[in-house]
Amino acid sequence: MKDRVIEILETMHPGVDYEVETGLIDDRILDSFDVVSLVGELMDEFDVQILAEHMTPENFNSAESIAQLIESLED
Amino acid sequence: MSYTSLAFAAFTLGALIIYYLMPSRFRYLVLLAFSYAFYIITCGKYVIYILVTTCSTYIATRFMGGIYRRQKEYLAENKETLTRDEKKQYKEKSKSGARRIMVLTLLLNFGVLGVLKYADFTIANINMLRLTLFNSTGFLGFLNPVLPLGISFYTFQSMGYVIDVYFGRYEAEKNPFKLALYVSYFPQIIQGPISRFNELSKTLFAGAAFNSESFCIGLYRILWGLFKKLVVADRLAAYVDGAVNHYTEAGGTYLLLAVFFYSMQIYGDFSGGIDITIGVSKLFGVSVAENFDRPFFSKSVAEYWRRWHITLGTWFKDYIFYPITVSKRVLELSKKSREKIGEGFGKRLPIYLAMFTVWFATGLWHGAEWRYVVWGLLNFVILTFSTEAKPLYDRLNGLLKWEGSFAHRCFAVFRTFWIMSFLRVFDLSSGGVKMALVIIKKSLTDICPLTLENIELLGLDRQELTVGCIGILIMLIYSLRQRKGSIEEAILKLPIAARWGFTALACMAVVIFGSYGMGYNARDFIYLQF
Repeated sequence: MKDRVIEILETMHPGVDYEVETGLIDDRILDSFDVVSLVGELMDEFDVQILAEHMTPENFNSAESIAQLIESLED
Repeated sequence: MSYTSLAFAAFTLGALIIYYLMPSRFRYLVLLAFSYAFYIITCGKYVIYILVTTCSTYIATRFMGGIYRRQKEYLAENKETLTRDEKKQYKEKSKSGARRIMVLTLLLNFGVLGVLKYADFTIANINMLRLTLFNSTGFLGFLNPVLPLGISFYTFQSMGYVIDVYFGRYEAEKNPFKLALYVSYFPQIIQGPISRFNELSKTLFAGAAFNSESFCIGLYRILWGLFKKLVVADRLAAYVDGAVNHYTEAGGTYLLLAVFFYSMQIYGDFSGGIDITIGVSKLFGVSVAENFDRPFFSKSVAEYWRRWHITLGTWFKDYIFYPITVSKRVLELSKKSREKIGEGFGKRLPIYLAMFTVWFATGLWHGAEWRYVVWGLLNFVILTFSTEAKPLYDRLNGLLKWEGSFAHRCFAVFRTFWIMSFLRVFDLSSGGVKMALVIIKKSLTDICPLTLENIELLGLDRQELTVGCIGILIMLIYSLRQRKGSIEEAILKLPIAARWGFTALACMAVVIFGSYGMGYNARDFIYLQF
């Protein structure tokens, strides 16, 4: 799951070490425009419904937290 | 029956007595009975509209709930035998059934709202087009429909609930009486706030035991709302109306004063009404969402909209803005635009498209006239400009080396306040966009000295002006004090003599300085028309 998330992130925004980065939102590596595209890709890829209330920095700060969010939505 | 009337006070008192005499489990039924009584007293046979919304909302959400329950049971029963694709297919089938129900319910309810609120606006535009394009004077007749009380508020609230159930945010309410109360709850039916079911339901159906502390806090909140509405808003309204009605003759500085007073008036009116709603709800032990968070201290237009009419902003964000930005079609359009037009444009497209839709809808929500649409779209333009110009702002602030300083914060608050005040001129100008532009231009260019005589001619004599200005000052002090926490709770902690002294003074201020019209009738709330 995390590997696939990293693949998507790299396609959208290359040049970041997503294995270790934990401040994608806080450090403004991804802006709101990127996050919207990312959410679309994630919903498409993993067939989950990401709602407005899931759009928090904590959920999108790292590939790990994004993968965790998707796992929780799949349950 | 206005929230500021004695009739409403008597009505609420009656409801409170019966509410607390009833066993806890039946108290929501008392609120429901009084909510329908309030609605019928206020708008008689038009209660049919709220009934249609309630019934359609209940039936739709129960059907959707049934679909999701069957889906859950089926998937649990066949957990071991179904492949991932089969599960996905089944879920998609269920979702599509629920989607059909949701869409039909939204079409029905927004259709009713659309016809009642926008039919004449549409007809006027068709007539105008026919005249302009074909020189045809065969005008279509207006429908002149009566707008039922609070229709925009209860429709938005109910449809928000339908969408939430569709997305599985929570389960559908099984008890039709509880749902009917959620839709019609009388303290918030006139002007909101637009409450979310999962939040309001926690206390609305609980039948809370009488709590003297909460009761007193509620009374103080009502008193504060009455002060803002009757002492400040309704008083300033006289000058604002006078200046705007004579905008061609009045000097620019007088119009600028009207622009400033209108900001105070609408804040006092709308937030005062919400204070009354929250206060009355507290008397019943019900917690209603806050709708204002000291908006005039915002440092940007975006922040302002997170602090003014919060529940409407959240509604638009959750149910229009977000679904548009992440919808498949918009994201596909974004991808194509990236390839064909450019990375920057394609990337921005989903958010700006959603923002445009939200602000167009927000404009129309405020009124079926082009000036409201212009007002909404100007908000869109300013917000878009602010986002795009952020790197420029950052560079400028870097050069000035004042980012985060007190002076910078004051400048940002001042700038935001006046941007929003000038935008509000479109709301003020019943003569349309042209009139609004004239008022704005005159306010900024036609500088002239202010005299008390002229202010009196426009509607406020020396005493009224003094009371209005003191009222504004008290609102400012209250807002500044709010940063330290609830003022109502702080009053309760005062020694008993000080508390009673304060209460007596506050009551006297409202009774003596409240602005009453003929027969002690206060003006209607501005948001009543929405």
